Amino acid sequence: MSTTTSLEQAHAGPAPAPVPGRRRRRTPWRGWVAAVVGAALVVAAWATVLSAEASPLPPLPEIAERAAGFAGDLLGVADPTPAYRDAGSWSRVGGLAVDTVVMSVLATGLAGLGALATVAGASRSLTVGEFGPGGPLGWAVHLLSRGLHTVTRSVPEVVWALLVVFTLQPGVLAGAVALALHEVGVLGRLGADVADSLDRGPLRALRATGAGRTALLLYGVLPQALPQLVTFLLYRWEVVLRASIVVGFITGAGLGFALRLDLAFRRWTDVALVLLTYVLLVWAVDLASSLLRRLAR
Amino acid sequence: MTSAVLVPVRPRPGSRSLLTALLVGAVVVSLLAVEVEGASGGGAAARELLTSLVQPDLSPGFLATVAEAAVLTVAYAVAGMSVAVVVGVPGALLVSGVLARRRTSRAVTVVATRGVLATLRAVHELVWALLLLTVLGLHPLSGVLAIGIPYGATMARVLGDRLLDVPRAPLDALTAAGASPEQLLLYGRLPLAGADLAGYLFYRLECAVRAAAVLSFIGLGGIGLRIEVALADLRFDQVGTLLLALLLLVVAVDATARAARARLVV
Repeated sequence: MSTTTSLEQAHAGPAPAPVPGRRRRRTPWRGWVAAVVGAALVVAAWATVLSAEASPLPPLPEIAERAAGFAGDLLGVADPTPAYRDAGSWSRVGGLAVDTVVMSVLATGLAGLGALATVAGASRSLTVGEFGPGGPLGWAVHLLSRGLHTVTRSVPEVVWALLVVFTLQPGVLAGAVALALHEVGVLGRLGADVADSLDRGPLRALRATGAGRTALLLYGVLPQALPQLVTFLLYRWEVVLRASIVVGFITGAGLGFALRLDLAFRRWTDVALVLLTYVLLVWAVDLASSLLRRLAR
Repeated sequence: MTSAVLVPVRPRPGSRSLLTALLVGAVVVSLLAVEVEGASGGGAAARELLTSLVQPDLSPGFLATVAEAAVLTVAYAVAGMSVAVVVGVPGALLVSGVLARRRTSRAVTVVATRGVLATLRAVHELVWALLLLTVLGLHPLSGVLAIGIPYGATMARVLGDRLLDVPRAPLDALTAAGASPEQLLLYGRLPLAGADLAGYLFYRLECAVRAAAVLSFIGLGGIGLRIEVALADLRFDQVGTLLLALLLLVVAVDATARAARARLVV
């Protein structure tokens, strides 16, 4: 009945299997130590955050007043011509939504290609393990690919966007490249984990028949790993779309750019329309991705 | 982090080739839809950026600034995660409907919570930050809540699914012994579902660190703000140091996660 987000579980790793014939060691004090350390960290974090330089928090009644005013602005209570009664605004937002989807598809596609090209290098067993060339060459390829994935993954999309607009002209392509750069790291890491946990039987059989390394990759690894990779890719498409609004904010494309302009010009009902379109788009992509994932199964 | 859950694959050629066609088609159509403008001296800028990035500014004065920014970023991430847990745990109980006694009340709470959580989750952290900024002003709370709300909604979904995905047999045994839904949750579902929760929390903390790093989007401090300042000053060597710091933070959280999982679970 439930639709477990297996991607989230993949990130978190599999649940540890109980070791047969061995009682689980019970270490209750470790749990308590972890809880106490965790609580202390949370308190310290709040103290640090609240001591940071910033404007003071407005008093509660003012917050309520501001929230109500903001909600009213978004709904266009005092606006004689709210954007959602205007066909022109809808067609503008529709065009931007298409741009945003194009940006996310392009980013996911580029990231998929990048991950496909580097995933074998990042896999342990295909470079320095059972099926790899081993030696200095194997290690060099392995560490380089792993390093590439860690670096690209560690830098958030928004920071990539800040760097990309220095070199590419602002627009959909710059946004797609920024999104793809982060996503290569995420997909590469997930893909390397998949490649390392493949069923080794077929690979060994192929090698026993005299298959070279390329044949092993093409006929042994790829058919086994590709469905799982495509599933991850489709999961990440939703994440990419979600992020494309903030990347577009910086690279000047799609719904994000419209949000930036509408916020700056205080066109509140346009802001509401952009946000509504954005949420609907995320839901639609969520649905499309789950339908496509069914095809991959 | 070892592996994804692998399902044995039985190919169905028809649906596979349809999927391939759809995916390739989508990417090609998007490529055609993009107007590629001529790069305007981007190559030179990229080269300058790259050469400076690999020669980071390691002067003690700047390193102190970086350390301060890194601490603030981690603090935002941890505070945000604490909010996420406060949102996520009750959300998980509601969205899984494990505490409901009647069929109708369960259906109503599950559907309603699902809709609310899906909306909270659909909005990106930084869009939340923009919205909260309008209401709370440039207060750290805007940043903390911006991370906590969407992360809490995601956590509610994942945790809720886990509560439902536990093996049936132990639950049936408890029910047969006359356990109430609360007792079922406390002695059956939580111990079974919570086995590897530490791993998930750390994975989300890693994401939260990245999210916290870019709270400069609305003007809050941390690594992102320093990166923006350094980029504005064209100090690419400082950008290099800051990116390195971010990399170290993410790797450190990842390593802690591995260590914690090894210690806590076995």
